Amino acid sequence: MPLDTSTTYPLTKLRLDGRRWNELRLIQAQISTNPASSGSSYLSMGNTSIMCSVHGPAEGRRGDASGTAGGAGAIVEVDVNVAGFAGVDRKRRAGGSDKQSSRIATTLRSAFQSHLHTYLYPHSTISIHVSVLSADGSLLAAAINACTLALVDAGIPMPGLLTSCTAGMSGSASTPRDPRNDELDPLLDLSLPEEQELPVLTVGTTTCVPVGENNMDEEEGEMKVAVLTMDSKLHCTYLDTMLAVGIDGCNQIRELLEGVIKGSSRA
Amino acid sequence: MSNQRQASSASQVPHLSPAELSYLYTSLSLPKTPIRPDGRSPTQFRPLTAETNILPGTNGSARIGFADGTQAIVGVKAEVEKTVLSNETLARNDGGAGHEHGDQEGSAAVGGHGSWVQMSIEIPGFRDDDALPVFLSEMMRESLVGAVGTDETSDMTGGLKGRLVINKRWHWRLYIDVLLLSQPLAYPLPLLSLTTHLALLSTKLPKLKSQGEEDPFFDDDWAVAEYLYPRPSLSSGGKKSARSSFVRPPVTLLVISVGDNIIFDPNREEIAVADAVLAISITRDSEAGNLKLLSIRTVDPPSRLTPPGVPNSENVSMLGAVAPTEDVAVLNPATGEEEVPGVWRPRRGGVKRSVIAEMVKTALKKGGVGEEVLEGLEGVEVS
Repeated sequence: MPLDTSTTYPLTKLRLDGRRWNELRLIQAQISTNPASSGSSYLSMGNTSIMCSVHGPAEGRRGDASGTAGGAGAIVEVDVNVAGFAGVDRKRRAGGSDKQSSRIATTLRSAFQSHLHTYLYPHSTISIHVSVLSADGSLLAAAINACTLALVDAGIPMPGLLTSCTAGMSGSASTPRDPRNDELDPLLDLSLPEEQELPVLTVGTTTCVPVGENNMDEEEGEMKVAVLTMDSKLHCTYLDTMLAVGIDGCNQIRELLEGVIKGSSRA
Repeated sequence: MSNQRQASSASQVPHLSPAELSYLYTSLSLPKTPIRPDGRSPTQFRPLTAETNILPGTNGSARIGFADGTQAIVGVKAEVEKTVLSNETLARNDGGAGHEHGDQEGSAAVGGHGSWVQMSIEIPGFRDDDALPVFLSEMMRESLVGAVGTDETSDMTGGLKGRLVINKRWHWRLYIDVLLLSQPLAYPLPLLSLTTHLALLSTKLPKLKSQGEEDPFFDDDWAVAEYLYPRPSLSSGGKKSARSSFVRPPVTLLVISVGDNIIFDPNREEIAVADAVLAISITRDSEAGNLKLLSIRTVDPPSRLTPPGVPNSENVSMLGAVAPTEDVAVLNPATGEEEVPGVWRPRRGGVKRSVIAEMVKTALKKGGVGEEVLEGLEGVEVS
């Protein structure tokens, strides 16, 4: 491909879609989009758009094996559905689920199971339904953000907003980093073509609830990494740069999502 | 288990007592003036919001939300595909040097093929090979490909199938993906059908630049793309464009009968007491501009799964408390069964032919429900 990021980026310092390294794509979000559910949201990051609806906390289905296991707290169920028209080419997988969507579902479930205050709802189920309407990179990150919004809309208590973002490097980054001649830049919020050729990492952070006397007077809450996944190969010397950029992106997204939540309550 | 029962029947049966069912049935079957639980008139639809072209990555898309919160999103994607010709057609094309065109031609290459339209429905809580999604998608697909235009002059000859033909060797394949965003509160057919109709109306295919039997080559300017279903152009009010604009994707309406009354767009409670549930597919006739019937399907009415009520005369705990005059049995006008007024009996089969005829007539007549629905959908701004 003549127009890939790894060849043109060093020359122009602009990415495929014209962004600089630290720029997010346009984020648009809405909550309470679907009145038939307890909470729902629509979120688009660039051309990735996701609808999410939350049902519950409600009594789990009878005869379910997990019904007894939910004694300590609510069980989070996640169902991810990537629509057939989401990608560039229409895809339909047999059986109703594929590897990508079940991986996203597993990550979402474990992230929100530990993030939400589930102990408040024993013997109940919170079911999250995520529909990917169009997929253009950073699917997991967008899904986490959409779920956070929908869960806030459903009024399910959580310590802070769990927001997520992707970060990558502008080259393959397979050799140790040379501090004197650093030609690779970290990239924020990757789109699909970038995600396919560059190393990419998804990070999700949340704010800590101030606990104890000493933490109460702190203005800025401590940041906590809650989700971290990476599928590609990368030399470990680059990891801290990427992580720093990703966490910074999460903070930007948190501010945007807070604006959405506050804005919708005013209206 | 409960899922299976849902799938086999028209929808989840709401938990209504026999007394409630009987009350509903009585008010819905009042002669001439049925009283619906939500106060609608028999032919009135639920209020809905609709928008089109919501997904930039598809050829056409639409979203419809009913006031009760159920929403559906439909995305239409088109792909160019090579037409598989049978051997004899190929041989004739090679040897015949094109003089034997026309009716001898491989019918698939000219008239299109029904399998070029693929439809899948995603309903939360159902696998996509469950009975309900498969039945619904097949029901909608068959009316879609079955709609054949009779107008020889327009390029919609052969209906949708014919429109998908590019030339003898290439055709479009249309994927229609329907996404129901919430658990179906009522039988989702009207919602899905209206959304699909709207999505198809907004579907555009790239403008063909190549001619005749060349390998297809398209204009990459999306602004000049052509609608799959040509729309009436505002500038040229010519006779021809007005005629071809009449070809429209079909709409499937859900109609129930209760007693002698006919009720459109029923909600869940109304379906639960229906004598018969019919899915009627209609479209515009490309010639005359009036509506024509494409298909009728009966849907298994869930009323037969409802619990029956026990008349006082048979109730042991009421022995002696009943005046003998109360248990006068009457004949149900629709089914001819013996009934005690006010006591619910599940409907068992059988609907009169005159009722079915009346249903079709109400849907098709000029200024009737079908016309109203099609005009309403046409009015949704397709930008």
